[in-house]
Amino acid sequence: MSDPLYVGIDVGSSATKCVILAADGTLLGRHVTPSGFDYAESADKALAQALFEAEGQREDIAYCVSTGYGRGRIALADRRVTEITCHARGAREWSPGLRNIIDIGGQDTKVIRLSEEGRMSDYRMNAKCAAGTGTFLESIALKLGLTLAELDELAVRSRGETVVNSYCTVFAGTEVIERIKDGQPREEIAMGLFRSIAARVAEMMAARDGSVGATGGVVAHCRAMVRALEEVMETEVLVPPLPQHAGAYGAALLAIESARADGS
Amino acid sequence: MSTAVKRVEIHAQRKLREILQAYFLDLDAAAHDPRRRVAWCTSVGPCEILTALGFAVYFPENHGALLGARRLSQHLIPRAVGAGYCAESCSYMTSDIGSTLADSSPLRELYGIAGPPKADVLVYSTNQCREVQDWWSWYGRRGGAPVLGVCPPAHLGEVTSAHVEFVRGQLGRLIEELEGRFGRRMDYAGLEGVVDRSSRASRLWGRVLDTARARPSPLTFFDGVIHMAPVILLRGTTAAIAYYETLLAEMDARVRDGVAAVPGERFRVYWEGMPIWPKLRELSEKFFDLSTVVAASTYCNSWAFEAYDGGDPLRWMAKTSTEVFINRDENTKEAFLEEMFVRFSLDGAIFHNARTCPNNTNSRFGMPQRLRERRGMPVLVLDGDLSDARFFSAAQTLTNIEAFVEQLEERDR
Repeated sequence: MSDPLYVGIDVGSSATKCVILAADGTLLGRHVTPSGFDYAESADKALAQALFEAEGQREDIAYCVSTGYGRGRIALADRRVTEITCHARGAREWSPGLRNIIDIGGQDTKVIRLSEEGRMSDYRMNAKCAAGTGTFLESIALKLGLTLAELDELAVRSRGETVVNSYCTVFAGTEVIERIKDGQPREEIAMGLFRSIAARVAEMMAARDGSVGATGGVVAHCRAMVRALEEVMETEVLVPPLPQHAGAYGAALLAIESARADGS
Repeated sequence: MSTAVKRVEIHAQRKLREILQAYFLDLDAAAHDPRRRVAWCTSVGPCEILTALGFAVYFPENHGALLGARRLSQHLIPRAVGAGYCAESCSYMTSDIGSTLADSSPLRELYGIAGPPKADVLVYSTNQCREVQDWWSWYGRRGGAPVLGVCPPAHLGEVTSAHVEFVRGQLGRLIEELEGRFGRRMDYAGLEGVVDRSSRASRLWGRVLDTARARPSPLTFFDGVIHMAPVILLRGTTAAIAYYETLLAEMDARVRDGVAAVPGERFRVYWEGMPIWPKLRELSEKFFDLSTVVAASTYCNSWAFEAYDGGDPLRWMAKTSTEVFINRDENTKEAFLEEMFVRFSLDGAIFHNARTCPNNTNSRFGMPQRLRERRGMPVLVLDGDLSDARFFSAAQTLTNIEAFVEQLEERDR
């Protein structure tokens, strides 16, 4: 038998991420794919690609932890853990001194507070709406006929301080139209949207002390998001090497720990 | 995740069904008997006066909760919105008004009666919120029945004798008004009897809730919200006393025998705020699967009044109805919660931010954060609503609860 593999699968509302680690925590393989309609199928696809990269086989999997909204749909999983705990675990491994983690996902945003010992001491999720999430950006980009990447490209060219004040996706769309009508530069409007998310995130933070890290798909794909967070919170925001994979990475680390605890 | 371990049934449940059936059948009979009169009353309103004056007493909030629990509210609320009632005002009120406009009530299926009884008089106390006044007024305008009320001073810290006397005076005037309108005379000895029975049922209910101090807890908040029905609907009757004697005996036996409401109880948490009626089962199963018992709540304790000492019954009514948690100021509420956390040896607290019930939501002015800092205890705020399921996100809420338990696990390591 080959060396045991430890798998983390993060089935998010937009994307499914898979990370495979060796027993010593070495990253062997990873993959990300759209979640689509069938979470089990997308997880299967992400796992197959990650295994290919890791040069491993399914029978080599020693332990698997699933996380994300679709965590309950993964038959392979030995354990299911929320994305809040997994993002905290993953980000902490990459940046041991982190005290605050911001995870901006497609469906929701979480702000996680870690204790000095690195344990999750508090967390908050956004309320039931798209405010402060990737969906907010995607919806408005779609309305403007842009992709998220194009919206980001525009935003990073901004030199002004425009903020889109509305948190509500529908009202923000109206506000954007007003600004277009008023002749505001498109770069400024685009950056204003990222600042709107950053303002929403900042509200969710109970404490501002200690270092801040950001994870999730929006952070991975949008440089403007990190810039907006830094501007609004007036602090440096650390981004781990693979921000979109932080949850899956944390899940894989928990797989190693769980396997040890189980003696498997 | 499936519930592999079986829940232990509460045997008193059968008795509960019987007495509720009898209550609703009697209400229906009263509504169809020209010699009898029906009074509607708020849940912590002056129902003892109404009972002593011979009214059959109906509690519309129970109907609001039923509409929520049976997931009918979201279909009925639009009817009330169409009539000019804001979709973000009390969803008990909007779903109940919608139910009347749509002529659709679960009482038909549950108890075999056509629906809520027609009111001869509607009586409220604003000790819980002002919305009840608007709610009753809609029915008053529609059916022509008088709407009478008691308005205790609100947001109180200490409840003084002056406050109690003020409310007592209002209760006296309410009696005079009812006597005049309906040609009845209050039998004060009879009122003492009703108040005594009300107090005894309430004390027994308090003792039932107190059994949850045991480890493992013999009952959960989710049991409590079902078994509290008699302390509201049948307050002042011997049926309520008999019921709670039976339930208390069963809970005492559970404590003695170590029977857990949640087998393998790992964590004990508090529920602050209204139940999320449309999602009660899902939430109950989630906590059960997580081996976490919701051992205490403000909501269930809201009908656990102090004992009646045999003195002036109106004074007891005035005092207990003014002292209720919901009618108190932020500091008093916070102190009460802190005492409950200690009393029930709790590991964490959940605050329900009910979208349409600001009066019974205590997470909007920093209280969870203050309690967390002071007690060093994890707190979670859940967004939802008492009846309107449209304000509830299952995926977010269930993830939040799981993460909360993971946080408790982290502290335990």
